[in-house]
Formats: sequence, structure tokens, C-alpha cells
Amino acid sequence: MEDMVKKVQEIEGLRLKIKAGGGEELMAKQRKSGKMTARERIAYLFDEGTFVEFDIFAKHIGRDYGLDKKSVPADGVVTGFGKINGRYAFCYSEDFTVIAGTFGEMHGRKVCKTLDLALKMNCPVIGINDSGGARVTEEMGALSVYGQLFYRNSRASGTIPQIALIMGPVAGGQAYSPALMDFIIMVEKTSYMFIAGPPLVKAVVFEDATEEELGGPQVHTEISGVADLAVADDKACLDTTKELLSYLPSSCSDEPPYAETGDSPERESEELLKIIPTDPNKSYDMHDVIREIVDSGRIYEVKGRYAANVITCFARMNGRPVGIIASNPNIMAGALDFKASQKAARFIRFCDSFNIPLVNLQDVPAFLVGTKSERDGIIRHGAKMLYAYSEATVPKITVVLRKAYAGGYLAMCSKDLGADFVFELPTGEICLMGPPGAVNILFRKEMQDAKEKGQNPEEVRQKRLKEFYEKYVNPLYSAGLQHVDDIIDPRRMRPAIISALEICRNKTDSLPKKKHGNMPI
Amino acid sequence: MPKEVPVTVPMVGKIVKVLANLGDAVKEDDEVATFEAMKMEMPVVAPATGKVKKVNIQPGQLVEADSVIMVIETE
Repeated sequence: MEDMVKKVQEIEGLRLKIKAGGGEELMAKQRKSGKMTARERIAYLFDEGTFVEFDIFAKHIGRDYGLDKKSVPADGVVTGFGKINGRYAFCYSEDFTVIAGTFGEMHGRKVCKTLDLALKMNCPVIGINDSGGARVTEEMGALSVYGQLFYRNSRASGTIPQIALIMGPVAGGQAYSPALMDFIIMVEKTSYMFIAGPPLVKAVVFEDATEEELGGPQVHTEISGVADLAVADDKACLDTTKELLSYLPSSCSDEPPYAETGDSPERESEELLKIIPTDPNKSYDMHDVIREIVDSGRIYEVKGRYAANVITCFARMNGRPVGIIASNPNIMAGALDFKASQKAARFIRFCDSFNIPLVNLQDVPAFLVGTKSERDGIIRHGAKMLYAYSEATVPKITVVLRKAYAGGYLAMCSKDLGADFVFELPTGEICLMGPPGAVNILFRKEMQDAKEKGQNPEEVRQKRLKEFYEKYVNPLYSAGLQHVDDIIDPRRMRPAIISALEICRNKTDSLPKKKHGNMPI
Repeated sequence: MPKEVPVTVPMVGKIVKVLANLGDAVKEDDEVATFEAMKMEMPVVAPATGKVKKVNIQPGQLVEADSVIMVIETE
């Protein structure tokens, strides 16, 4: 018996040593730079006492360059599972104090194993990235295991939520794993993501660039659209991860989790009468509308600083998570450019993968026209939205608030793309082409004739424009042809959407059998 | 370290109103101009807190996508 106890003590002694990572000095340095340590992050993220670590004794594989004599605790990554707000999740947390958290072969095997288990157990996986990149001293061992990780990220895509937290440097190939996951959250000042850092960039393309300029949070949340969010510090990052998870099911076989919010499904909103202008030339912030109609005014927005002309956010309506896609007339008049189209399509497909109903709010004057937009590929990027909505089998509820012209109307989920219910406000204007453009084409000859006769073509234009509006550009016309299910009072937007969502809980829809479509990517 | 932050417009359009002048102190997200495109008037907001160092536009002026209409100098 004493023998056993002695053996246990030896192992536990070793375990404690490994938990100290790279040692107190490096841990202190990490904290001083404003970062939590790998294990502190896990302790903060998971419910107390629920985290179960595996492979703490896994040993690094590299034997060259002095690695055979070196101690590499847990090969620089902590892996395990536990509960986050009572729900299971898997996690790997890189330890920057252990050879700069570099991705060695065993380090990579541990991460891959985490993914394999998460997939088997139908749980989300959270990757805490904080690494100097590939461990050069392990050569092919490191490269191959990156590939194994990307393979798993890709194959698991759409089955379990995968969230990447960038809580330090993420350089080289390692940046591709987050890119294959569902959401990327960065920490201001202490995180970067780039495929090559300043020294390599200078050597190969002769460019002088700082880490911040190459791949800091601002670059990725505002310019490249790679990251979804940037937050102030490690704690905020972990807090926001918990909040994001609260909207998501554990796997694609589950419903998104219900939560009591105490906000009545019948609640009307007088405020909406003030927020939505009847003058079509006046803009407003669509966030204000969204906050009025969702439970407790609470939203979780992703990519808020990228392609802000479209808003993509999670919220609850009557306690159940929804994904909201909405035009923002304050930015580019709510027109759909190539960036907004991609942003929306990705969000739609994520929600569809994970059984999250879609609520679409339209105030869109069309896809952006002009040479810049064409050369940016608006045709193939815009097509992504059409594809994503058409493919989605989750409930789709659309509200047309004001403008809904041309392709923009279709792209923001018209009935034709399978919206289950479409409502229009009395200010709704659904039409094939923006009225001024349409009138210019339809009555070009008449206006020309008037000019030749010495009359005022502008008078003809105004007259025809007024007629056009009365005949075609009003809710009664679209409702008359079943393009919308009803014309609603803006104050009743919330109850109308919720009643539609409730019946849609019984919805069944499926795609024709195929391997997978050929989405215009 | 003071930094010069450009204020840009996202698309081709027309400046309707200039709401901040040379030397004015502005806070991030303050509306510094109103601009019209696609028949809609939209606010242009300050991307940072600081002083207006340069104003490149007048009311009525046409502007290209991504053009710099103002420059803000942060503290």
C-alpha cells in the first residue's frame, strides 16, 4: 500500500512540475505583458473544478538541436474538456512560456486529439492560440501536424462549433487553423495573425511593416474581415467566448439553447415609429431597430467593423437564439457591396449549419454599382448571398422596412429564395428597379418627345414617377401579388416575427441528395 | 505619440454638410460630415478622438470612394 502511495506521490510531483510550464520567471513576464498564462485562461473560462486535462505527460518528439536534453512541459499546450456555464466543451490552450508555445509534433498531436474527441463527443472546441509558430527544430514533424489539424478543422466544420481565440502571436501556417474555424476573436495590443512576420516579409518582398500593420486586431476586424471581434484584454476575450457559446448548440444535432429572458413576445415598441424615418432620404442606424425587437435589447454582433453596411448578429427572440442579417442605411445607404455579401453569406451558412433561425431586415437600395464594384467581383460575391439563403433550410423570416430594390431585395431573402414569412412595413418599397432609374427607361421616348416639342421633360418625369410609385411601389401592390404575407405596423415587428418563428419550429425542409453544391466562393 | 488618422468616405457620393472645422476637438464617433449617395444622407463619423488637422472638402463637393475628407490628429 505504501508502495502505491509512494508511486502516486512521484507522479503527482511530476505533474505539479509540468504545471509550472516554462517556470516562474517566464510566467511573470507573460503576466507583465498583460497576458494571462495558459492555465489561468483555462481556469477562467471553465466552470470551477470541471476541467479535466489529458496528455499532461505527453512528451515532445523532436530529438535534434538539443531537444533530446530539454524539458518541454506538456509540449507547450494544455488540452482537456470541462463545462462552460454548465455545458461541455473541449479546449486547447497554448503555453507561450514553453519554447514560445511553438507548434511541435506532439503539441500538434495533442491539438488534433482534442478535435477528434470534441467531434466524437459532439461538443464545441475552443482553441486558445498563443504561439511563436511552427517549431523549426522539428522540421517535417511540425509541418505535417499542421496539415492534420487543418484536415480536422475542415472535416469537423459544420458539425461542432469551433471558436479560435487569438491571445498572442499566431504566425505562419498556424493562422490557417483559426481561418477554418467558425469565429475568430482577437485581443487588442497583444495578439497578431499573419502568414509571415516582419523579418520574413522584409527578406522576401522587401517591405517594411510592423506586426500591427501586418496582422493586428485593427487590420483583421476592419480591413481584411478575417477576425470577428477584437476585445480589450484576455478576460474580455474569455468572457465574450462564454457569451457567444450561449447562443450556440453543442453540435449540429442540437437545438440552440433556450434561455428565459423575461421579455414578453407580445411587447410592442412605440420607439420604432421614431427610429424609422418615412422620408426615404433620411438614414438611421439599423442597430436601433434590432435592439427594439429582440429580447432585452441584447445583441451579439460579429464583424461589426467590417462591411458595416450589413449587420450580422445573434440575439434571442422569445428566449430562443436567432441570427439576424440586416441592412444598415447609415453606411453606404445599406447597399450590398462585395464585402457585405461575403460577410452575410458566411453568417447565413453558419446559422444554417447549427439550426439557428434567420431573421432578415431589409432596407436596401440594391447591390453597389460602378466600375469599382464590378472589378471587386460583385457578381460572384453577391451570388454567395443568393446561394446561402437558398440553401438554408432553417426558418427564414424577412421584414422589408423601406427600400427593397432589385437584386438587393432578392439577396436579403425574399420569398423567392425560400423565406417562410415576409412582412412589409407601410413604408416598404419593393420593386424591380429603383423608381427613378425605371422611369428613365420606361418613359425615355416620352421625355425625349416632350423636349423636342419644347415642353418640360422634367415635368413628364415627375408625373410618371408619381404614377409609378402609386401603381407599383407600394405595399398593397406587393401584398396583392403574394410577395409579402402581410403589411404590418412597425410597432408590432417583434410580435409578428416571433409568431412566425414559433410556427417555424415545426418546419421541415431538406436539400436534394448530392455530395455538396458548388457554392460560388 | 500623436497620430494622423484619416477620415474617409466608403463610396462615391457628395458632401452635403461639413460639421467639424479646422482646429475643432472631436471625439470618436462624433458626426463630422454628412454625405449623400444612393439617394441617402448618411453621417460620416470621426474614427478617433483628437483635433481636426485638415479639412479637404466643402459642401456640395463630389468625392470618390475611399477619399480622405478630413485628417484628425490624436493626442
